[in-house]
Amino acid sequence: MLKKITAVFLRDLKVNTREMISIYILVVPVLFAIFINLLTPGINDTTVRLAMIDGDNPAQVEYLENFANVSLFKNAADVEERVGRRDNFIGILPEGDGYYIFKQGNEPEYLIDFTKLLKTLFETGASLGDSAAEIVEFGRETPPLKKMLVNISILFSSVLGGMMITLNVVEEKADNTISAMNVSPISRTGFILGKSLMGVTMPIYGSLAILLITGYGGVNVAQMLLLILSAAILSMMIGFIEGLNNDDMMTAAGSFKLVFMPLAGAIAAAEALSEKWQWVAWWVPYYWAYKGNDSVLSQSSTWGQILLYTGIILGMCGLVYLILAPRIRAGLEKG
Amino acid sequence: MIKVKNLYHSYSRDERYAVKDVSFEIEKGEIFGFLGPSGAGKSTTQGILSGLLRLQKGEVTVAGYNVKKISNKMFNQIGMSFEQSNVYNKLTARENLAFYRKLFDVETRDPDELLELVGLADKAKVKAGEFSKGMKHRLTFARSMINNPSIWFLDEPTTGLDPAIAATIKDIIWDQKKREVTTFLTTHNMFIADELCNRVAFIVDGEVRLIDSPRSLKLQYGSRFVDIEYIGGNGLVKESLSTVDDKDRARIKHIIDNNEIQTMHTKEATLEEIFIKVTGRGLI
Repeated sequence: MLKKITAVFLRDLKVNTREMISIYILVVPVLFAIFINLLTPGINDTTVRLAMIDGDNPAQVEYLENFANVSLFKNAADVEERVGRRDNFIGILPEGDGYYIFKQGNEPEYLIDFTKLLKTLFETGASLGDSAAEIVEFGRETPPLKKMLVNISILFSSVLGGMMITLNVVEEKADNTISAMNVSPISRTGFILGKSLMGVTMPIYGSLAILLITGYGGVNVAQMLLLILSAAILSMMIGFIEGLNNDDMMTAAGSFKLVFMPLAGAIAAAEALSEKWQWVAWWVPYYWAYKGNDSVLSQSSTWGQILLYTGIILGMCGLVYLILAPRIRAGLEKG
Repeated sequence: MIKVKNLYHSYSRDERYAVKDVSFEIEKGEIFGFLGPSGAGKSTTQGILSGLLRLQKGEVTVAGYNVKKISNKMFNQIGMSFEQSNVYNKLTARENLAFYRKLFDVETRDPDELLELVGLADKAKVKAGEFSKGMKHRLTFARSMINNPSIWFLDEPTTGLDPAIAATIKDIIWDQKKREVTTFLTTHNMFIADELCNRVAFIVDGEVRLIDSPRSLKLQYGSRFVDIEYIGGNGLVKESLSTVDDKDRARIKHIIDNNEIQTMHTKEATLEEIFIKVTGRGLI
């Protein structure tokens, strides 16, 4: 049985690597991760960038590096050249016994003020230890926007697994090969399981790729995969139904896009609605997966919480299965 | 090997039957032709026998398995060549066969050997999507033999093939018969049926009208004819005359005695003519 299931999966995988639309879907998680990495440093980087001369006043450089991104250049001309470029770079150059701040002229005022402040703090010898402020935090260890984008991308990759199933079922229909499967010793359950493996491996591959590339490799991956795979069951069932209901790949992919509606709705609800209105998204399994993922990415999740969310997702998927399973079986029987 | 008793099937699940009270038995190693026009119930019967359609009413046993409760193991003994070729277009010919063989629990044949057999050896690495209709048909036919089936369902096996390839396919069917493979041949091509089948069944409107061997049918229903071309008073004359009718026999003698014969051929009644005679229906 396992040999036959694997044969069906490997056949699908082979075909998917030969079809442009499938290849595109396979690389989407990696593209997402790269996009997040490119986008989020800019979002979180709110400090000033300073250009200074290498070797000039190392103590000042060391002090300023605690609060700003400091780039060192060979001489004053190089500093001036760097400041003159399109982005916001502020130069600090020596003049006589002191220093002057060198700017292009179009930088935001707060950057100049911040540079002046840092310079003053260094000159007055102020250190972080001099502060009497007590630190109180929410306990968030990761940037919120990056975490949200990673979460969305992971859920997205779970849905892409269902889309791959749709494409593979449509291919079987277009080539009329389901009838050939029906007169082979593979059981219908075995065939469905073989086809479903793409819906399992795609979220695993996608989630791991996104976590590793975006630097979230240290989270509890087991908890994350448990949530993602349980949510992927829904995508897989819809993948089969859309595949059986459509005769060409483009129409099928178009129909499958409807799945992104509840996904987007669940994320919007979780992020934008106040606590008392969160219940409106409780019926969407992706809502619970999103919430669970959020706590895993924040590294604040507990097994009890994850198992509860997984149970809710599986319960909902079970109800959908009761409705869709007979249609899937009948569709495969008909070919 | 195959037993069918009082088989009924209705797609609308009412009294409008596509197959009505069909019964027959097929012995091991026999080639059994199921002949009839389009919509007669051939494919429905074959679909039920091969497990593609659910058995609604009647008793069907294939290779000792009751089709009412199909066991997947049954398919290890069955080969099925479809009328409409159904292979994976994005896989090569060899990959198609290599994938399919993995689904069986019995010893399977080497894909390259089968491709050689159907004349596709040089196309082993070509994707089936690039094949002509005839080549796809041959690949589907080759796939049906991958598990060394003891029961072989062939649906229009030579349709759309050029004569040379059709002859190769017929040779393969003969070869399988020597291996005692039981063949259920569905076709509306009476020449193929006449050439290959031990017995044929005529099916019309879902009902089997007759089951017998082609030879027996010809003896029972066929009239012998002679086609004569001779030089008459106004040039070349053609006549077709019965060799059993007294009047026609006398006419033949008269022509031979009094005219210059150009050509003269005996003509046996074809299976198609017998079909029309028995069922009152053509094959299209």
